[in-house]
Amino acid sequence: MLRIITRYLRLYKAFLFQSLKEDMTYRSNFLTLVVMDIGLVSISVILFKVIYGHVNTIAGWTFHQSIILIGTVGIVREMAYLTFRRGFLELGNHIRTGTFDIFMVRPIASNLHLAMRHLSLSESLGEGITGIVLIVYGLIHLNNWSWISFPLYILLLFNSLMVYYGFSLIINSIVFWVVRSQELNTIIYFFMETSRYPADIYRGIGKVIFTFIIPIGIIATVPASALTGRLGWDFAILSLIIGISFLGIGLFVWKMSIEHYSSASG
Amino acid sequence: MPISIHTKNLRKTYDYFKKEAGLTGSIKSLFWREKLYNEALKGISLEIEEGELVGFLGPNGAGKTTTLKILSGILYPSGGEASVLGHIPWKREPAYQKQFSIVMGQKNQLWWDLPAQESFTLNREIYEIEDKTYNYNLEELTELFDIKDLIDIPVRKLSMGQRMKCELAAALLHSPKVLFLDEPTIGLDIISQDKIINYIEEYNRLKKTTVLLTSHYMRDVERLCKRVIVINHGAIIYDGSVENLMTTYADHKIIRLRFYSEFTVNGLEKYGEVLERDRLSAVLKTGKSNIAKTTSIILNDLPVEDLSVEDVEIEDVIKKIFTG
Repeated sequence: MLRIITRYLRLYKAFLFQSLKEDMTYRSNFLTLVVMDIGLVSISVILFKVIYGHVNTIAGWTFHQSIILIGTVGIVREMAYLTFRRGFLELGNHIRTGTFDIFMVRPIASNLHLAMRHLSLSESLGEGITGIVLIVYGLIHLNNWSWISFPLYILLLFNSLMVYYGFSLIINSIVFWVVRSQELNTIIYFFMETSRYPADIYRGIGKVIFTFIIPIGIIATVPASALTGRLGWDFAILSLIIGISFLGIGLFVWKMSIEHYSSASG
Repeated sequence: MPISIHTKNLRKTYDYFKKEAGLTGSIKSLFWREKLYNEALKGISLEIEEGELVGFLGPNGAGKTTTLKILSGILYPSGGEASVLGHIPWKREPAYQKQFSIVMGQKNQLWWDLPAQESFTLNREIYEIEDKTYNYNLEELTELFDIKDLIDIPVRKLSMGQRMKCELAAALLHSPKVLFLDEPTIGLDIISQDKIINYIEEYNRLKKTTVLLTSHYMRDVERLCKRVIVINHGAIIYDGSVENLMTTYADHKIIRLRFYSEFTVNGLEKYGEVLERDRLSAVLKTGKSNIAKTTSIILNDLPVEDLSVEDVEIEDVIKKIFTG
């Protein structure tokens, strides 16, 4: 097990350097993307500002707590870009043109190879930076948090990444049947967009669906709750169970789906 | 010699949906689709020994690539068995994946925007090649393929022939025991084709790597392989020596002629079988053994402006195998 982990860490490093070298050949793109990301995050902040102009709390969340929530979404997205996100965006092309063949013949797990082949720092840096800025800004204005919650916050961030990855694996596995992935990734995009809102706004059946079936509620609300002192241990543990389950189901569905890969000839 | 590749009654059926042409057809297919089956492989049985260099010959769509993809674990077969180096390919065990390589003429595996050298170093990580072995192999391959000056140039700036050489080198860094080559010379000019063929031959001679190569060029296989397997419509129709194939079924050449003035000789038949005859041109099919003599007689007798000699097409060879 330890050997496998070190192997993949080494591979990750090698692929990351490779991607950086590739990114550098298209430098001018970089700044545009960062500015665009900051712009997009600003829009959600302004939207929340407008809403909080009329109310003091949304489902118990104050403005500054919501800022931390938005920042957390940014960080999870950044983590996803640094691991698997762009690989899925390219998956449809790989399958349509048959270049997915390459992922089937290398002595690396196909899902991890796909992820590492398309690591992207420049495309996402803006989200990560604004995420951190928002969290710092939010924490400055809050007084009921402590440093002790940071380890739990980081653990739950990785848990969110597992949920996000598992969900992406399940949705993207459909590509092996329908060949196009554009629409599928729109689903995932909205999945992440919706996670910006505190999950406490869902009640009853909605809460069940958005926790267990489409785990939007886990992604940002859970880590942000931990950081702002709103999370109980029971829900933290439940979240970890959901995270591991989603990853497990995702990997299983993926494994089944690649058997259906038919490879473009040529 | 131990057996390296073995298949028995290997079958593959693709399913796909019938779609009528035009927009109406597309809309109709949204609601109702007829499922069709295409039997790509109808029971392929073959055995290839360690160190053999075997040509897999057949027209487009014959099933060559499908066979190669099953043997490399890209596709699951619909039936039958296969083993390569004692592994079942579609289990995709890393222990097997580290021992073979596949190079596809139409699929680029190198990083497009980076020099080939960068892809090589990445392969070192992927295949866990030890430093000593890596350095030795890199030195040897750059020497053998004559690519020392190419590996520092971004891949996108290389010509097709240069790129194929780098692709080959990248695929061989981990000293695979089995090498699958899918149309490695496709789209290359004659000179580059010959070079690639020479390199493959040289490498096989040096390393005793088992090579299974697909092509639809007779020339490649004729020059490179001792043994050839001809496949058509998903079934093997010939498995034997290249020499026998050539003398029995491909003993002809095609001569294309263009004339600078019209003439009315009816005796073109004496030079060979007349396939086409126009006012100022003709295509003849003639025996391979005395081709030089025939062409010199033609040049002497007729008002020839241009003359070219070509190999018979694989389709003609297949036709001949069937008709005997």
